[in-house]
Amino acid sequence: MSDIRFSGEPELQTPAMVVGWTMDAGRLGSRVTDYLVDKLGGQAFCEIEPVDFFPLSGVTIVNNIVYFPESKFYACPEKNLVVFQSTPPSYEWYRFLNLILDVAQDYCHVREIYNIGSMVALGAHTAPRQFFGTINSNEMKKELSDYSLTREIDYETPPGGKPTLNSYFLWMAKRRHVPGANLWVPVPFYLVSAEDPAAYRSILGFLDDRLVLGLDLADLDEQARLQNEKIDQVRAAQPEIDRIISKLEHGLRLEEGEGEKLAEEVGDSLSEFED
Amino acid sequence: MGVISHSEPELHRPDMIVGWPGIGNIGIITVNALKQQIEAEELGEIEPWDFFYPNKVIIRAGVLQDVEFPGSKFYYKKLANRDILLFVGEEQPSGRNRVYAEGGKAYEMANLVLDVAEKFDCRRIYTSGAAVALTHHSHKSRVWAVATERKLLAEVKGYANTLLMSEVEGRDNLGNITGLNGLLIGVAKKRGFEGVCLMGEIPDYLSRVPFPYPGASQSVLEVLAAILGVKVDITALDDMVTQMQGVIANVFRQFPDEVRERIEQRKQDVQPGSITEEDEKWITDHIDDFFRREEDDKGQ
Repeated sequence: MSDIRFSGEPELQTPAMVVGWTMDAGRLGSRVTDYLVDKLGGQAFCEIEPVDFFPLSGVTIVNNIVYFPESKFYACPEKNLVVFQSTPPSYEWYRFLNLILDVAQDYCHVREIYNIGSMVALGAHTAPRQFFGTINSNEMKKELSDYSLTREIDYETPPGGKPTLNSYFLWMAKRRHVPGANLWVPVPFYLVSAEDPAAYRSILGFLDDRLVLGLDLADLDEQARLQNEKIDQVRAAQPEIDRIISKLEHGLRLEEGEGEKLAEEVGDSLSEFED
Repeated sequence: MGVISHSEPELHRPDMIVGWPGIGNIGIITVNALKQQIEAEELGEIEPWDFFYPNKVIIRAGVLQDVEFPGSKFYYKKLANRDILLFVGEEQPSGRNRVYAEGGKAYEMANLVLDVAEKFDCRRIYTSGAAVALTHHSHKSRVWAVATERKLLAEVKGYANTLLMSEVEGRDNLGNITGLNGLLIGVAKKRGFEGVCLMGEIPDYLSRVPFPYPGASQSVLEVLAAILGVKVDITALDDMVTQMQGVIANVFRQFPDEVRERIEQRKQDVQPGSITEEDEKWITDHIDDFFRREEDDKGQ
């Protein structure tokens, strides 16, 4: 396990694991995992070394902040939870995903895995974030049947496409007999480059119920309310934006350029929410 | 990581013919056509996970059933006069944003293919690919050849419609074969196999566009069939050739007059050569710009 470096020995008893990737739409993966680590007092205990998985040809700078690929496991022993947050690897995916499962299965004896994923949606931000799950076993599907999570979806990647990293990981977990689910939440396209508290509130609500985490999510309700208020202000100030959002709310198709304009204006107005 | 066997046929000193996608997909179209014509049976496959990202996920009633990877499969056929092994790689191993495989992954893949060749005591390895040439799309593609050993060159020179790479005007006895279709023949030499690489000519101005060029595959298939002593119906590729001729003619009509005139002059050339640095710059300046504009227009 030379690709893995341990820095702690948390006491866990067949915990659940939540996996989030950074840089996804609406920053869902990192927001959900950050929130869990922060609220549940998670401590990093292990990381995957970046060599072989990331280009390491320099660093990325966003808003004057240096970003370096990180792949860390956090333990929340009181809630018997492991959180894994990582930059998506650029290559050697099979080896990388196997390393996650080596830590999850062989070291932590994880009982089930939840992968956080966002989908870019053409709907309005005022619509509820009705998320759904894809599951990797019929037994797990039965277990989750009380959560209105599953849908009888049939899907195959179209020619020329590629499955998501979450699907790849879920398949690998299935091969290693670790039950798991991908949780998909729609993020309105004009919030993709900002963030979407309503989306991660929706996922965290499910995780709170399912894993009995005892989270108080009132702060996220407030964040979502403030964001909606901000967008309402933009709608009031710019009738064009209001008209475009109304079209989305009524399920109408946008004309060329309307989507870009909406994303630009809403993105600008929400930029002060960003870290 | 390794090779999964689906059957264990007894083969006597088979020849192995190998193809991956590449410029114009000339190699893989050739090998696939041969496979179909001789009705080769599946022998095994290379485990894909260390080489490829999956290309498909299958979900049924909300439950993930499977993911699929690009195939890297072996086939075999026992013919009256000789046994044949085929290898078809649907993709070259990806990674580090390269179009064609190189480095460790490519070397590993090449060695796995040759492990199977060694297991069956292969007599000779054939790969095929593209020869980028100053030719015209109305010309029949010739086949350029290189071999792992000098002693094979006399035989190779005897193949119909085939010339050694050194015989191509302007080559100065130098050349390189990019990607696994080339690397495999190098690793074959290193491991002591006899090997020949057959490359079908593709016009330089079509070498960077994502079109198959089945006319070149037809030429390579013709040569391969003669070498192997198998009867193949090369007209089986006629439909694909006709279809692509239509696409190419349509694109060609849209080239700027100056570019089209320059290319049309090649119709008179009896001996098309390889591309020089000057030609490559000209293609980059003219043809690549044209296709970039086309892509931009499609994206809007």
